[in-house]
Amino acid sequence: MDTLKEIYAYRHMIFSLVRKDLRGRYKGSVLGFLWTFINPLLQLVVYTVVFKIILKTNIERYYLYLFIALIAWIFFSASLTGGAASIVAQKDLIKKIYFPRQVIPISYVTSCFVNMLLSFIVVFIVIIFSGTGFNFSALLYLPVIMVVEYILSLGAALIVSAVTVYFRDLEHILGIVTMALMYMTPIMYDKSIVPERLLPIFNLNPMTHIIGCYRDILYYKTVPELSGLLSSFVLGTVFLIAGHFLFLKLQRHFAEEL
Amino acid sequence: MDNNIVIDVRNITKKFKVYFDKGAQLKERLLFRKRNRYEERDVLKGISFQVQKGEAVGLIGHNGCGKSTTLKLLTKIMYPDSGEIVMQGRISSLIELGAGFHPDMSGRENIYTNASIFGLTKKEIDARFNDIVEFSELAEFIDNPVRTYSSGMYMRLAFSVAINVDADILLIDEILAVGDTNFQTKCFNRLRELKSGGMTVIIVTHDLSTIEKFCDKAIWLNDGLIVREGRSDEVVDAYFRFMNDKKLETEKKAVPEKSGEPEQSENNIQEDSGEIDYSANRFGLRHAEIKKARMLNPENKDTRIFRTGERLTIEISYHINRPDEYVFGFGFYDMDGRCLYGNNTQLDRMKISPENTDGRISVDIESFPLLAGKYILNVAIVDADGTPMDFYRSYCEFEVVSHDRSTGYFSIEHNWRL
Repeated sequence: MDTLKEIYAYRHMIFSLVRKDLRGRYKGSVLGFLWTFINPLLQLVVYTVVFKIILKTNIERYYLYLFIALIAWIFFSASLTGGAASIVAQKDLIKKIYFPRQVIPISYVTSCFVNMLLSFIVVFIVIIFSGTGFNFSALLYLPVIMVVEYILSLGAALIVSAVTVYFRDLEHILGIVTMALMYMTPIMYDKSIVPERLLPIFNLNPMTHIIGCYRDILYYKTVPELSGLLSSFVLGTVFLIAGHFLFLKLQRHFAEEL
Repeated sequence: MDNNIVIDVRNITKKFKVYFDKGAQLKERLLFRKRNRYEERDVLKGISFQVQKGEAVGLIGHNGCGKSTTLKLLTKIMYPDSGEIVMQGRISSLIELGAGFHPDMSGRENIYTNASIFGLTKKEIDARFNDIVEFSELAEFIDNPVRTYSSGMYMRLAFSVAINVDADILLIDEILAVGDTNFQTKCFNRLRELKSGGMTVIIVTHDLSTIEKFCDKAIWLNDGLIVREGRSDEVVDAYFRFMNDKKLETEKKAVPEKSGEPEQSENNIQEDSGEIDYSANRFGLRHAEIKKARMLNPENKDTRIFRTGERLTIEISYHINRPDEYVFGFGFYDMDGRCLYGNNTQLDRMKISPENTDGRISVDIESFPLLAGKYILNVAIVDADGTPMDFYRSYCEFEVVSHDRSTGYFSIEHNWRL
């Protein structure tokens, strides 16, 4: 409880770290902040070419189908890989000044989150121009699923950021793991084509449900299935609580290990 | 617990693992098991102390005694292995000024970022912003990126932020050495103000005069334990004595017997040429020569380190080429070449016409008056008219240690009366 209070007291530090991160990320590049939008758009082009034109998937408006999932996925995977390095990257600060260490992964995940929100502006533009339109009652669930994904991402980031301090390989291992996870989550294909015997594994993956919800809301324009939403919320909360306690324990020796 | 006690340190210990060759990666951990060997070093072996509200406490001790570690434990950058630290109030630290400054951001933005690291909210920073800028004297540069600042400006900005946090406890580690003297004075004045306003201050520094001037209490740490704790002047005195003794000790060990050879032996012997190069370190006609000069401590050991108030003997071994009347002299200079004291046998109304070709002359200084510092000895033989025969401008350097902490060059007996 004290920790939460303290983190709240340091909220301005979180804000300024997020701002610094967002502003500093593309500093010096010609296109600057535009990269926030260009990056996912280029990924979209690549995957669309591969899956729609070469592999000839028969999903309608595949670019939108993929885009929604991709933006949501990028938030999670960036939180995981970048979150892992976040504490190590701020070692100068940690070795010299006291502040609740959780501030760093929280800031990192939050800045990824803000990036996702900004990317959703592009998603909305695409939705409008494709003539897909919105279902406004379904749209009410969008913030909910975003919060659920935030909780999950933060929990995961707390764990990997703390562990990476003691075990630096994790950062590189996570590069492979997130790639594998990406193909193990129905992002570029539909869950319906997953073989029956693999389904239990897919259902264990919280991102399967989260991506599903995003698609329900924006692509299929329906209210998402509550069971999927609930199970991903429960899983996310478990991650967050586990992450919180693990972090609390591991952070005691950060200054010495860094 | 007494309400006035804001810091209560109870028997804390801290060990560091010192890896011989640390492998942080899996491959290294598995492949090179041996490399994971480490030594555990006890940095703190159980220290306890209490600090009251509004007190200023100095931590002193030589390098590696654990004082900086103690400070890091107080800031909660690190945690003790055992024991407990209870602190009350908001803590601000001047351990590393400007950590977290972003060089590309302006002074203004960095004030906000930096203050937020101390746990201030936007509103609180807004309220302090003008004070911070005013104190830093950087108003006209505040919108320039910090990378354009000089290091002095950088420190000024950082210090101004840290000192305006309105902390209840301020922890300072060896940082006031930066900045010009004016700003330093300003910092200390501000610290005094804050202190009289009830702020508690803990300082770690090697500068004993800071501790004495500013702190009410001092804690002397050695080898992870508290040696002495009490009024700052008393503790500083005891520590000072200890350090002096240690210095003498190491000097003795390192150089058991210093050879009395001059550090520079320029042998521009100017036999009878009549011309003397006065700019050389050693010059003269060499009708009489200095073979060797020794500086002896009270145990008659040739050394280069002495104590104020103890006996010092200078012994000159000479060789006479032409029997005549000669004058032997010595002098002490500071490192800038200023003469602090000089004397010779003529000034002391002695007439010396050595009969043997080789001999020794020595002079005893019963109570050596120079204060702590480095000095230069010069020795010389001149003839009765003052023509240099063998003159060493700088024969050797020597060091003096002292319990007397007066400033200047000489220790002068004195007593205060009221």
